[in-house]
Amino acid sequence: MWNNFKNGFIKENPVFGLYLGMCSTLALSTSLNNAIGMGLCVTLVLICSNVLISLIRKITPDEVRIPVYIVIIATLVSIVEMFVHAFMPELYTSLGVFLSLIVVNCIILGRAEAFASKNGPLASAVDGLGMGLGYTFALTMISLVREFLANMSITFYNPFNAEQILFSFGIEALEPFKISLFSSSVGAFLTFACFAALFAVIRKHMNKKQEAK
Amino acid sequence: MKKTLSLVLFLGIISALSGLCIGYVNGITEPLIAANELASEKQNLELMYPGKEFITIDYTGDDENILGIYEVSGEAYIVKVQGYGYSSTPIVALIGFDTEGTISNLIILSNQETNGYGSRCFEEEFINTAYIGKAMDEDVDMVSGATLTSTAMQNMIAAARNAVSALY
Repeated sequence: MWNNFKNGFIKENPVFGLYLGMCSTLALSTSLNNAIGMGLCVTLVLICSNVLISLIRKITPDEVRIPVYIVIIATLVSIVEMFVHAFMPELYTSLGVFLSLIVVNCIILGRAEAFASKNGPLASAVDGLGMGLGYTFALTMISLVREFLANMSITFYNPFNAEQILFSFGIEALEPFKISLFSSSVGAFLTFACFAALFAVIRKHMNKKQEAK
Repeated sequence: MKKTLSLVLFLGIISALSGLCIGYVNGITEPLIAANELASEKQNLELMYPGKEFITIDYTGDDENILGIYEVSGEAYIVKVQGYGYSSTPIVALIGFDTEGTISNLIILSNQETNGYGSRCFEEEFINTAYIGKAMDEDVDMVSGATLTSTAMQNMIAAARNAVSALY
């Protein structure tokens, strides 16, 4: 089970390893707040959907399993969306349409079909947690690079109260060297490509080690 | 046939259950969302009536340009309204009406009208003479050379009057 969890981070990281859920990754990695907020929403939906789908896997008729999964996922996303709208309005505005688009995030349906429909609820929950945190981790990494290069500073505010800044870091001397390119989609692709390459190298290395054993 | 029925039934039950859950959560979150929206609008409303209490009023009409109506307890109504002038981005304004329906206050929240032409409609001096103090049935002034923006303002005021007149 620990291996399932660990897999989500490096070997099968949904973003850098499986290349799933790219759309939201590229669009939302502009700031640390967006990245962590979105990552946690996805993680929550992923854990709940994995558990629910795994619980009903024995009574779900094979012919309608995909519609059933979609209904469950859509319900969870709507619920999460309403809670975010109610308690974190700032985050709700900055995530915009991508929050509701979690429904079609292929990580969630992918894990439902590939894992939760074949395994028990506990294992599915752990798989969801691992995958979700893997996604959050990937988004956070990209957003750190992008936010820093685009603003030469990084700020993290309390999602429940946007005026309360929890963490802020900036290098004033670098202020004139902001690269605003990184706040646009080009920057997203560049950053993503570098990380994907880095992770590919790490994976290759790990595989070699395993073979040597 | 039996197989199909059981499939339909299964999917139906799942959908009904999820509908139930969504309805329940909506019941919890809806008042909070409405309160949040009022809070975010409040800083604009405070510009017109500092230190007052505001209540959101449900708008029942079908004018898409009416973005919201607020009541300043017993004193005035404020209508948030948008209109299209020269730019494809709408002009958004708050228009305050006193108890007689006279325009008592007008604030432009956002606009992308041409600077120096259309924007003359938004100068404080012009707002004070052309719009403020006009009773329900009085016409408002135009700016020559800024026909589109002026017309948009006229339409917005007409829409706001229309929406608010039902409340008196």
